[in-house]
Amino acid sequence: MTDGKVTKVSVPVSPSGNGRDIEINDEALPVLIQETIDAQSADIDMVSGATVTSDGYLTSLQSALDQAGI
Amino acid sequence: MPTTPPAEPETVPGVHRYVEHVMGMPISLALRGRHATTAAGRAAWSAVMTELTAVDLAFSTYRADSVISRLARGEVTLEQCPPEVREVVALGEEAAEASGGAFSIFLPDPAASGGPRRLDPSGVVKGWAAERAARHLALLHDTDFCLSAGGDITCRAASGSAPWRIGIEDPHDPARVLAVVPLRTGAVATSGTAHRGAHLVDARTGRPPEGIASVTVVGTSLTWADIDATAAYALSEQAVAWLHTRPIHSALVVTAERKILRVDPRSTIALAGHT
Repeated sequence: MTDGKVTKVSVPVSPSGNGRDIEINDEALPVLIQETIDAQSADIDMVSGATVTSDGYLTSLQSALDQAGI
Repeated sequence: MPTTPPAEPETVPGVHRYVEHVMGMPISLALRGRHATTAAGRAAWSAVMTELTAVDLAFSTYRADSVISRLARGEVTLEQCPPEVREVVALGEEAAEASGGAFSIFLPDPAASGGPRRLDPSGVVKGWAAERAARHLALLHDTDFCLSAGGDITCRAASGSAPWRIGIEDPHDPARVLAVVPLRTGAVATSGTAHRGAHLVDARTGRPPEGIASVTVVGTSLTWADIDATAAYALSEQAVAWLHTRPIHSALVVTAERKILRVDPRSTIALAGHT
C-alpha cells in the first residue's frame, strides 16, 4: 500500500491471456440439452447453479450426485 | 517380528466422492485415479476444508468478529489486515474497473443513494477461496479432481482421462439441468436469481438487476469465472456484449423470458432452446 491506496496484487491465474487460457479443452462449450432433463439422464459429475446452498441441500440435485458415489 | 501396516489398497477405479458444508454451502469433491481413496487423498480433502473454514472465519460478513467485519467498521486498517484480505480487496477493485462498477465489493444502500457503501467481498471470496483450496488437490499425483464450492467448480483431468461433465442448473427448475460442459481442466461458475437468501445487486444502483435468470462462465480461473458471472448478471442486457470482452472460454446466459444465449469465442448463438 502506498499513500493509503491499495496497490494491485497479482493473482494466481491472470485473466489477461498468458497462455494458460489454452489449457481449456476445446470441447468446453456448454452443450444445450434439447429438453431439460434430470441429472441421471445427463450423466453429470457436478452441478453449477445458483441454488447450491446448504439450505435445501438434502433434496438437491448435487446431493443426489454426492450420495451416489460415497 | 515388527508388524507393518497393510499397504494401501490398489486404486479402486471410478469416482470417489466427499462432501462437507462450510460458509453456508456444500463443498463436493470428486476424485479419480491413484489417490482417490488413499491417505494422501483424504489429507488433501482435509486441507481443502481447513482452508475454507479459515476463509469463513476471516471473511464472513455474518460474523461480527471476522477480520472483514472489523475492517468494515474501521477498527483495523487495510494494511493491518492479513495479505489475503488485501489480495481480495485488490481483486474487487480490479473487478469493479473491468465491469464499469456493476460488480463491486462496496455495495450501495439502495435506500440512500450517494450514502456510504458497505464492504461485502462475498462476490470475490467464494471463487477465490475455492481456487486456493484446490491447490492441495493439484499436488496429488495421477489424480483427477473436480471440486464444487456451492456450485462454483474447479477441476483437473489428465489428457488421457474422460472430461468431467458439469451440469448447468436450469434457473427456472433447479432439479433439472439445461446444459452440460465437458471440461478437463478449468473452472465453471454460475450466478443467478435462484440463489435463495443472497442479494445479488447491480452495484451501480444497489438494486437487484432484472432480465437475466442466470449466467454461467467457463474459464481457466475460478476466481475470475465467479467474478465475471456475477458482473455479467448485474449488467443484465449488457451481459452478452460484456462477456465477449472478457478472457473467458465460453458462457451461457439464461434470460428471465427463458431464452438461452451461448457466448463463445467465435460468435454469440441464440440457441434454439427455451427452458
